[in-house]
Amino acid sequence: MKNKIINKIGVNYKMAMKDMNDKEKMQKLIDKLTQDLSSKDKEIVGYLNKIDALEEDILRLQKLIPGEASKIKSKREKPEDIFDPDSTSAIIIKDLVKQFDDVTAVNGINLEIKKGELFGLLGPNGAGKTTTINMLVGLLNPTEGTAIVGGYDVKRDLSKIKEMIGVCPQKASVYKFLKGRENVELFGNLFEMDKKVLKERADRFFEASGLKEASNRKAKGYSGGMIRQLNLIIALINDPEIVFLDEPTVGMDPRARRKTWTFIGDLKQQDKTVILTTHYIEEAEALCDRVGIIDYGELIALGSPKELMKKHDAKNLEEVFMKITGRRILEGV
Amino acid sequence: MIQRVLALVKMELLKLIREPANLFLNLLFPAILTLVFGLAFGGLGGGDSSLFNTMAPGLFAYACIFLIMTVSMSFTDDRENGLLKRINVTPTTSTQFIGSHIITNLFIAVLQLAIVFLLSLLMGFRPSVDVFGVIMAFIFMLFLSLCSVGLGLITATIAKSAGAATGISFIFILPQMFFGTFVPLTEATRVIAAFLPSYYVTEAITTIFNGVSPFAVEILMQLGIIALMSIGIVILGIFLFKKYGKV
Repeated sequence: MKNKIINKIGVNYKMAMKDMNDKEKMQKLIDKLTQDLSSKDKEIVGYLNKIDALEEDILRLQKLIPGEASKIKSKREKPEDIFDPDSTSAIIIKDLVKQFDDVTAVNGINLEIKKGELFGLLGPNGAGKTTTINMLVGLLNPTEGTAIVGGYDVKRDLSKIKEMIGVCPQKASVYKFLKGRENVELFGNLFEMDKKVLKERADRFFEASGLKEASNRKAKGYSGGMIRQLNLIIALINDPEIVFLDEPTVGMDPRARRKTWTFIGDLKQQDKTVILTTHYIEEAEALCDRVGIIDYGELIALGSPKELMKKHDAKNLEEVFMKITGRRILEGV
Repeated sequence: MIQRVLALVKMELLKLIREPANLFLNLLFPAILTLVFGLAFGGLGGGDSSLFNTMAPGLFAYACIFLIMTVSMSFTDDRENGLLKRINVTPTTSTQFIGSHIITNLFIAVLQLAIVFLLSLLMGFRPSVDVFGVIMAFIFMLFLSLCSVGLGLITATIAKSAGAATGISFIFILPQMFFGTFVPLTEATRVIAAFLPSYYVTEAITTIFNGVSPFAVEILMQLGIIALMSIGIVILGIFLFKKYGKV
């Protein structure tokens, strides 16, 4: 279609060149050409509308056919067109898809997180938050698409990525038979940290978290909140550039949660990039520079808490969350 | 790399000391077993010491076979508690992680053998062996413990929980206990025994303790067989656990 129009313009242009001296003929040619272009333009718009409608149909069908969701994607929007990777990007997610048998947990997420940003990943249970993080830290292989973490591709350079990240898993994972300090030292040694630096950092974290006294006791005797704090200390012991915090404050009492918020806020002060998933929307609102809301494996909203509140005419982020995810439930998406 | 492996070995050894189930299965159980068998069949208990002399090499293998259970329990337990995932997001490679398990279990095997050997001597076991023979017996036991680590990994691949691992590990433990240690073999069970690592180890150690040179051809052949078996089982275990172990 496009070539036909170009050819026609070429032919008309050549004719026009011959009749350059005949102004009347020239004007007629210009009018005719404008008419042609206008009709072709309408034709093209018509086709594009049809393509859009077809794509929407395909997307609707994708939801109905298990296992097919990730196979068809928009051809018009390539990640290269969206992203401009530069040194200010900590994480670039390109068309990320994760399929488990017939369930699409993550469905074509595109996202860019800047260095030093505290980014909140929100979403209802089973929305795909943890699966996304697991792909970024190398625990899961993407079915399609990829992600660049700290300048390295998760599909090729996992070992480089693992040296610069810290992960606080949703399920507090510590060795119960080890003392708090032994747990921290074990993971510090797995990052091949200098013994002196490791001790200093461990001391600082235990002091700041209020676990100093308990650090020489076996984790078996810790309360749920203390275990979660130890879980967080282990994630930060290697002074990571990029920190993934998956529901770090679940099960903490309000005081411990506030303390952890201070911890997370300090990371921002140190120019660390933090990716935080949480169910506590007020936590994201208080801490995050930007948030992304995931539902059914898709990124359905992105922006700073203020931007999202303004856009959705909401008093707080929780209202935004309920409006977006609630509407999708009602629409049966 | 060494810092990582040493840290993991230290953690595993602390687990051995601090977890009662591990301590019992790895160190107390072989000791109790030796004492019970010694009292029942050894000269100290008034029994026929020559019978205990025949049984003692099998007891060494017995202790080592139970490593299958502790290794599989350790892996499944760590997996259930999310610790394998946690280690997986550090720069530690799977070779370093499994390597640390192998080193720890070789160390435990040496401890077990020392305990069983000393207690057997106490209970009237009198092997006609020189220092080279004892060293060779230790080498055989190390290969058997390597087999146990591999079989433990295979068990952990199949088992969904630490409890299930305990039960499933008996698939590998029982045949080795009955057809590969001191229980007399029939024509039929000898065929089964040919596939069991403990059979070759018990045979070799019994021969060595009967005064045959540890460098005799038959001993070296058995060493070759157990070495190949252990390497094959460990490689298979690592492959299966990495592929299907849901780390």
